[in-house]
Amino acid sequence: MHLELSVNDRAVHLDVDPHATLLDVLRRDLRLTGTKRGCDEGECGACTVLVDGLAVDSCVMAALAVNGCAVETVEGLAQPGGDLDRLQRAFVEAGAVQCGFCTPGLLMTLTAYLRETPAPKPDEVRAAIAGNICRCTGYVQIVDAVLATIAGEPD
Amino acid sequence: MTRPGSGLPGTVGRRFVDACSLGEALEALRDGGDELTVLAGGTDIMVQYLRGDIRPAGLLHIRRLADLRDQAFEQRTRLGALTTHWQLVTDSRLRRRHPALAEAAATVGGRQTQNVGTVGGNLVNASPAADLVPAMLVGDGTVTLASASATREMPVADFVLGRRRTARRPDELVVGLSFAPLPERAGETYLKVGRRHAMEVAIVGLAARLAFDRDGQVVDARIGLASVGPRPLRAEDAEARLVGSHLDAASVREAGELLTRTSLPIDDARATAAYRRRLLPALLARAVGTCRERALQPGGPTQHAP
Repeated sequence: MHLELSVNDRAVHLDVDPHATLLDVLRRDLRLTGTKRGCDEGECGACTVLVDGLAVDSCVMAALAVNGCAVETVEGLAQPGGDLDRLQRAFVEAGAVQCGFCTPGLLMTLTAYLRETPAPKPDEVRAAIAGNICRCTGYVQIVDAVLATIAGEPD
Repeated sequence: MTRPGSGLPGTVGRRFVDACSLGEALEALRDGGDELTVLAGGTDIMVQYLRGDIRPAGLLHIRRLADLRDQAFEQRTRLGALTTHWQLVTDSRLRRRHPALAEAAATVGGRQTQNVGTVGGNLVNASPAADLVPAMLVGDGTVTLASASATREMPVADFVLGRRRTARRPDELVVGLSFAPLPERAGETYLKVGRRHAMEVAIVGLAARLAFDRDGQVVDARIGLASVGPRPLRAEDAEARLVGSHLDAASVREAGELLTRTSLPIDDARATAAYRRRLLPALLARAVGTCRERALQPGGPTQHAP
């Protein structure tokens, strides 16, 4: 069936399996493999992308359910010239990336969250990432990265 | 069974019906409801589908139906079936009228699930552990079902028949829910026990709504339970024991004992039946204390100074 999306501000038209997931389409059809397939059942948040600005688990989102929507993935964060955005840079500087598998999902969850809550408290950041599992960092460096971002570093 | 990148399992001729109006959705269900699985946020349905637990020939997507998104705050609170968990958590009118629903919604998954998961979906999914359903029960919830030919309303308590079984007919769609708001001098809460704080299925869920008279005597009590039986249920014996009491230690203890007799917990991967029975009296004691505190708190819904 026909699917029409905006992905990172680029219009996309393609034919998809009627029951494909958004994650299938992003990774397989569009080769946007920054979005990761973790648990494949909406538990771990590795596949988080934004649909019309809202964080969703793309592994349990039917692709055709977001027909006509604006999708943002981790590939949309860095500028075309290659510069990382400030949240990404803060992740690097705080050591919030170890194996890196959860990183794209966390970046997208936090990107949506910081748009609606520009200056969260540490506990609010922890609550905001409840749907993203990281098995390396213990989350401390991730929270540090967010706090550094809102403090205006390391711009 | 799923393989990375393989797409969903299924058969030739699978369909995706993207309904743009309620009429279109109801016609699709009239003509082929047996073969369609209704898809709203998809946080339960897609997981069941990917695991192979359900094998629908077609998906009927209803998230574009604007009619099912509205909320109305009248004598009863009316929620379109597509009201999301995140709306329950954040809408101030909903939080004030239905604190237990808001608290229950906040315990469901992470933000990703709350953004798209719906009240109608949480009910129709009929999980024994559904967090919202105990809160629906203490709010005197009713569910409205529409088909191409008729609309009917029934209590939430009668709608859920058992694990993954409801009174919905294949040609029907859950279009809305309605609840009695928290009355005066009343308090409400939802307590959930899990092994961790986030992303957890309830080992036990307990919602309570208590109303008091001016002397602090309980005039109405509603207790809803999840994960201690094949379906969420009201604990009427325990409720009756609390009504007329001042929440003295003996009344609360006896009500807690009645709860353990009302419940039909099982051993499963999350906890033993014995552990669930042990939790119930302690949860009840905590919940009724919270209800009283909230009912009598200055600036609360009652404006009643302690």
